[in-house]
Amino acid sequence: MHRPICWLASIAIAVSIFGCAKHDSSQTTGTSGETATASAGSHKLRVALLPKIKGISYFSSCFKGAEEAAKELGIDLIYDGPTDGNPRKQAEMIEQWTIDGVDVICVAPNAPDVVASAMQEARAAGVSVITWDADGTAESRSFFVNQASAQAIGEGLVNAMLEDLGPDTEGDVVIISADATSENQNAWIETMKPALAKSKLKLATIKYPGENASNALADSQDVISKYPNLKGIFGISSVSFPGAAEAVEQSGKGGKILVNGLSTPNDMKKFVQNGTVRSFILWHTVDLGYLTIHVAKALAAGELKPGATSLKAGRLGELSIVGDNVMLGDILVFTKANIDQYDF
Amino acid sequence: MSNLLPPIGHALRPARFGVRFSKLVRQRETGLLLLIVLTCVVVGIKDIHFLSCEVWREILVRCAATAIVACGVMLVVVTGEIDISVGSLMALLAAVMGRMISEHEWDISCWIGIPATLGLGTLIGVFTGCLVSVGRVPSIIVTLGLLTALRGLTTLIMGGQNIDRLPEGLTQLAKQGLCGVPLSILAAVGVIGLTSVLIHHIPLGRRLYALGSSAESARMAGLSAVRLKLFVFGYTGFLTALATIVDVPRLPKIEAGIGSEFELLVITCVVVGGVAISGGHGRLSGVLLAVVLMTMIRPVLTFMDIGEAGEKWTRAIQGMFILLAVVTDSFFLRRQRSSGGEHTA
Repeated sequence: MHRPICWLASIAIAVSIFGCAKHDSSQTTGTSGETATASAGSHKLRVALLPKIKGISYFSSCFKGAEEAAKELGIDLIYDGPTDGNPRKQAEMIEQWTIDGVDVICVAPNAPDVVASAMQEARAAGVSVITWDADGTAESRSFFVNQASAQAIGEGLVNAMLEDLGPDTEGDVVIISADATSENQNAWIETMKPALAKSKLKLATIKYPGENASNALADSQDVISKYPNLKGIFGISSVSFPGAAEAVEQSGKGGKILVNGLSTPNDMKKFVQNGTVRSFILWHTVDLGYLTIHVAKALAAGELKPGATSLKAGRLGELSIVGDNVMLGDILVFTKANIDQYDF
Repeated sequence: MSNLLPPIGHALRPARFGVRFSKLVRQRETGLLLLIVLTCVVVGIKDIHFLSCEVWREILVRCAATAIVACGVMLVVVTGEIDISVGSLMALLAAVMGRMISEHEWDISCWIGIPATLGLGTLIGVFTGCLVSVGRVPSIIVTLGLLTALRGLTTLIMGGQNIDRLPEGLTQLAKQGLCGVPLSILAAVGVIGLTSVLIHHIPLGRRLYALGSSAESARMAGLSAVRLKLFVFGYTGFLTALATIVDVPRLPKIEAGIGSEFELLVITCVVVGGVAISGGHGRLSGVLLAVVLMTMIRPVLTFMDIGEAGEKWTRAIQGMFILLAVVTDSFFLRRQRSSGGEHTA
């Protein structure tokens, strides 16, 4: 008796589910098509900003600038990312945003190859995709918001170290990077090597602790024990830099082994004040977030086209575009003398 | 599964079973110890500094947190359950503790903040246990959910800001310690002692093993699975809080990513240490040796000076080490079987 009713019910459910799904998908393609044409008009632009890791202070300070620009330009800003830096989760988020029909997705890819296909699919669906902070594969995005050229960062790091140690110092240096697949860090390492080769310092090894504070601390402690003639450590991620500084401080070799790297000033104040770190570098992270949103807006509004050579970005003024890289400008060197002027 | 076993017959066998098994399981420890010693010799030949006191002091300090939490997770696995949320729990507790007792935060005294952290850890553990035992949701699903949920909660609590002003007293105790012995080592020794007493000298320990080897016969013997599971998960929560308190102040700052992949490390140690993932047997000494072995891998790679290309293979080499540990073990197991001529389990 109940059987036919069950069957009918399940068929009804199945039909309604399929019906809904079909209806939904047609709706989303409808909206994305609509926004692509109407984005320059009255429709409020929806921009998704994807950091490498959500919740660390570096990307939070970028977000501060992005929020500022979003307010200025009247943009609906979505900020989300994996908390553990997993590129697969990044790809999932890009896919979700594509389905949701956002207008622009700004990606800081953790592993370019892993997220590339999701980014390409997003582009095929009519979403504008740009990269910021770290570049992706060339065909997966239209523009890259470049915080500083790898050349400037790599040489900036080595020069700052040489200045602190004295240009004729001999001895070993070590680089503590992030993951072996981190695009940014690898590019910097490639430019640091020739700069180090010109000096009397020898690059003893490169460690890859990942984005893990315990591993970064452990690796730094190990290299301090392993290389007795160690003069300096480059901590070139936001996790490995404080890890290296902490290891040097705990080993009681502060001042004998110098630590240098990239970090936000707020994260490093403690170590600059106690002398473990004499100088370090970074770009203006707040401005990077700010610029990214401006690029997103210009792209969606059709003001930014391939081949452009400059872009006007709000309070940052006229910035140059090299190829498909929008350049943020000079890097900052922080020392004990100037660190208190910055708050990010 | 469990109702396939004849409950009474199984309950009658433990003595003979126990003797044979302890013999076998001891082999696991032999294998691990052999691997540790062999690695030390090889690395020592390459660079004698590896065997220095200061290097091993650091390695043991790093072992401490893993060992503390592994004591809890081991008991969870012994009862036939699993807990894969300890890394996220550690992050949440670190964030809460940091907010509570750091300067310029909520400014709560350490004497309240630290017990509160321990309490929160235990509470979350008991809550997990409740879902597993009373709610009858498989523990892998509960803790998989918590793995994400607790990490998300941590991000909210941190609000994108790192905490780097823990009270000086606590960070000093964690780094330099009491009379030169870091706090984490003291805590680890205490926890290992406690867990060992619990397993070997208190009926509760035997009940946990009984529950894990056959839930059905444990029930027939009048044991309360609910209470035992609440205990193991609560204990794990408490130990995770303890590990957080003694280990996190060693780090330069508290950030949302703390403890990532910690749960995998702990589970690896428990499994490599010879605890049966299906529950019922496994020894503390095996787990502790596995903790040392797993913690050793990073410094070993540094001291072997495997070069720039080699460094990129760190993770792969770590994985191979785990396989090696397990393979050594099954090799021993097979030899034991063929030489003894008796088949087991």
